[in-house]
Amino acid sequence: MRAVGMILAGGNNYRMRELSNKRAIAAMPIAGSFRSIDFPLSSMSNSGIQKVAVLTQYNSRSLNEHLSSSKWWDFGRKQGGLFVFPPMVTQENSFWYRGTADAIHQNLDFLRECHEPYVVIASGDGIYKLDYEKVLEYHTEKNADVTIICKDIAGTDDATRFGVLRLDEDNRIVQFDEKPMAASSQTISCGIYVIRRRQLIELIEKSIQEDRYDFVKDVLIRCKDAKRIYGYRLDSYWSNIASVESYYRTNMDFLKKEVRDYFFREYPDVHSKVDDNPPAKYNPGSAVKNSLIAGGSIINGTVENSLIFKKVFVGSNCVIRNSIVLNGVHLGDDVYLENCIVESRNTIRSGSRYVGEGEIRIVT
Amino acid sequence: MIKKEMIAMLLAGGQGSRLGVLTAKVAKPAVAFGGKYRIIDFPLSNCINSGIDTVGVLTQYQPLRLNTHIGIGIPWDLDRNVGGVTVLPPYEKTGKTEWYTGTANAIYQNLAYMESFHPDYVLILSGDHIYKMDYEIMLDYHKAHQADVTIAVMPVPMEEASRFGIVVTDQDGRIVEFQEKPQAPKSNLASMGIYIFSWQALKEALIELSEQSNCDFGKHVIPYCHRKGEKLAAYEFHGYWKDVGTLGSYWEANMGLTAIIPEFNLYEEFWNVYTKNDILPPQYIASEAYILDSLIGDGTEIYGKVYKSVISPGVIIEPGALVRDSIIMQNAVIKAGALIDKAIIAENAVVGERAQVGVGVELPNKVKPSVYSFGLAVIGESAVIPADVSIGRNTAVTGVTVKEDYPNGVLGSGEILDKAGDVV
Repeated sequence: MRAVGMILAGGNNYRMRELSNKRAIAAMPIAGSFRSIDFPLSSMSNSGIQKVAVLTQYNSRSLNEHLSSSKWWDFGRKQGGLFVFPPMVTQENSFWYRGTADAIHQNLDFLRECHEPYVVIASGDGIYKLDYEKVLEYHTEKNADVTIICKDIAGTDDATRFGVLRLDEDNRIVQFDEKPMAASSQTISCGIYVIRRRQLIELIEKSIQEDRYDFVKDVLIRCKDAKRIYGYRLDSYWSNIASVESYYRTNMDFLKKEVRDYFFREYPDVHSKVDDNPPAKYNPGSAVKNSLIAGGSIINGTVENSLIFKKVFVGSNCVIRNSIVLNGVHLGDDVYLENCIVESRNTIRSGSRYVGEGEIRIVT
Repeated sequence: MIKKEMIAMLLAGGQGSRLGVLTAKVAKPAVAFGGKYRIIDFPLSNCINSGIDTVGVLTQYQPLRLNTHIGIGIPWDLDRNVGGVTVLPPYEKTGKTEWYTGTANAIYQNLAYMESFHPDYVLILSGDHIYKMDYEIMLDYHKAHQADVTIAVMPVPMEEASRFGIVVTDQDGRIVEFQEKPQAPKSNLASMGIYIFSWQALKEALIELSEQSNCDFGKHVIPYCHRKGEKLAAYEFHGYWKDVGTLGSYWEANMGLTAIIPEFNLYEEFWNVYTKNDILPPQYIASEAYILDSLIGDGTEIYGKVYKSVISPGVIIEPGALVRDSIIMQNAVIKAGALIDKAIIAENAVVGERAQVGVGVELPNKVKPSVYSFGLAVIGESAVIPADVSIGRNTAVTGVTVKEDYPNGVLGSGEILDKAGDVV
């Protein structure tokens, strides 16, 4: 493969509320048995990328365990590998990552020592499948300096949460506003970029010299006219978990057959670190409707329109509706949950009742 | 120098012909069990949980799936620089080349493998038992009794004792007599086929008996050691242990897992059972589905009804289908409206729309009554059952079958329909 991967997984997001208290966004559990970062990692691996660096900072330990080996995603070991880079104090640097561009800058040595001509930069919070081989072909065909993966979102969705793009007929980006007050189009940036490695090193060095630390605002948007930046339209499923609402909605999307088939039955597969959990067990009293149940769970109660993650125990006479119960939760008997997200490894006392009204309730 | 106190030799070469078409394409230790596992996972997990990191797996019959399952031993942490798991097939040699002709003969042919680890003790295991056992405690017992051979035994009901190899012990647990399937058993301690040998005793016996044809531990080696006056100890085991060598016991053991608190518990934090994990999504349970008393593997999609069954990963059960008291293995598909009652459906099989498997009165099987009994209908690997046919009890079906294979759309109880040539 002609590219190395770089995943920016260091950020926090206050809109994830309590869910980000103990983990990085990239480590958010998704779809019952995956974590958010599995999707960008799998896309890279399935495109033949052998070498990936994950830049971590906020709650970085939550990712270390998941990224314990390159073999879960079939990355190389001798030829390539999976590298996790938290910020590091050195002779030249004594800062945390001050922004995405700074994060890349603090790891420029990694990029300098690579031999692959291109770099794929992605965030850790996107849920999608993407063939980077095709993006690279497009990139060279357009003779682009940077290619940005973009998506046309529905008119009802709020584009101002994202970077908003306007493309000309040739798909060259003519306008790029990061989280503007008013969106000029419904085309948004997915936060995935393809760029020539030497070009990236040059742009980052220049930006840091000027004390500018954000990759989007200080590098991409500033060089929009000077460089040839193209948009690559993604027309398949893409979702981004930047808020509790989008996290909830993305998970619920997996209750739809077409979404499940797209991710889990169609080529290529999504890879993840696997656990040694026994099969899920359904005892008398269980009544499960339209739900996803992950391995190691034991169900004694009613579960409807919900996602039950790994190793969850659901007690007798429980009723769980429209909710997400994360890994390792123990629900006592007679618990009632509706419109909730239950934080992982929680124990919910028998007879408890949690209902999210108007918004999703997070039970910690 | 490489040195291991105890290494394990796991006998996994047998066909297991009493499992019928289930072992047509795979060795018995590779047969699926418990909705996720293969039988060999239990002894292999016991090894690593007991601190044994060197395991030789002796393969012979249909080893492909076993080999891919074991690989280099990653799931069991048995990928080691020194030791780890080694698959040992029979091999050609100068002079006399032979297959593994018996359990002890197979071990004899791998003396060099064992020798290379300079072991003090060798643990002999078979790959067809479901149990959790700490071999380290058994080794402590072996040492404490200064035994040359320790045999794991378990008490069985006296009236069943005549089906087993029975050992008679004195007060100290020393073995004084053997009875192989005795008419009049003198004790109810049955041998579990698990042995710890002190290395010198094993080596000496194997070399001495090297000319013995079909050399077997139970029939030849243990009696030889006994005759020679070696110290034989019996280690009593009181946990769950199940030989899943017949279709009936295999089915029963699987069904036992569906109890509210199963006798054999896979959900204990302590003593994990490891297996090769495929990366699979969670299971989807549809609105019209209904599931009770069942184990369901990852990646399944359930739209029908499932009662008291064990469903392996990747299975699809379509709307209106009903599965009861059955075992459905990996990636099988049960089409809409089908009925599966007390059946074993092997990997990748497809049961057509509205087909009925396991119906009607129970009649003994006409070809192999000792294998296909227990009222079970057994559908072989990758078999295809057409729509709208019905299949009786004590039956076996293999290969791609079409409507014309079923006179009046019926395969009666006790019949065999063998399109794949798997029933010999």
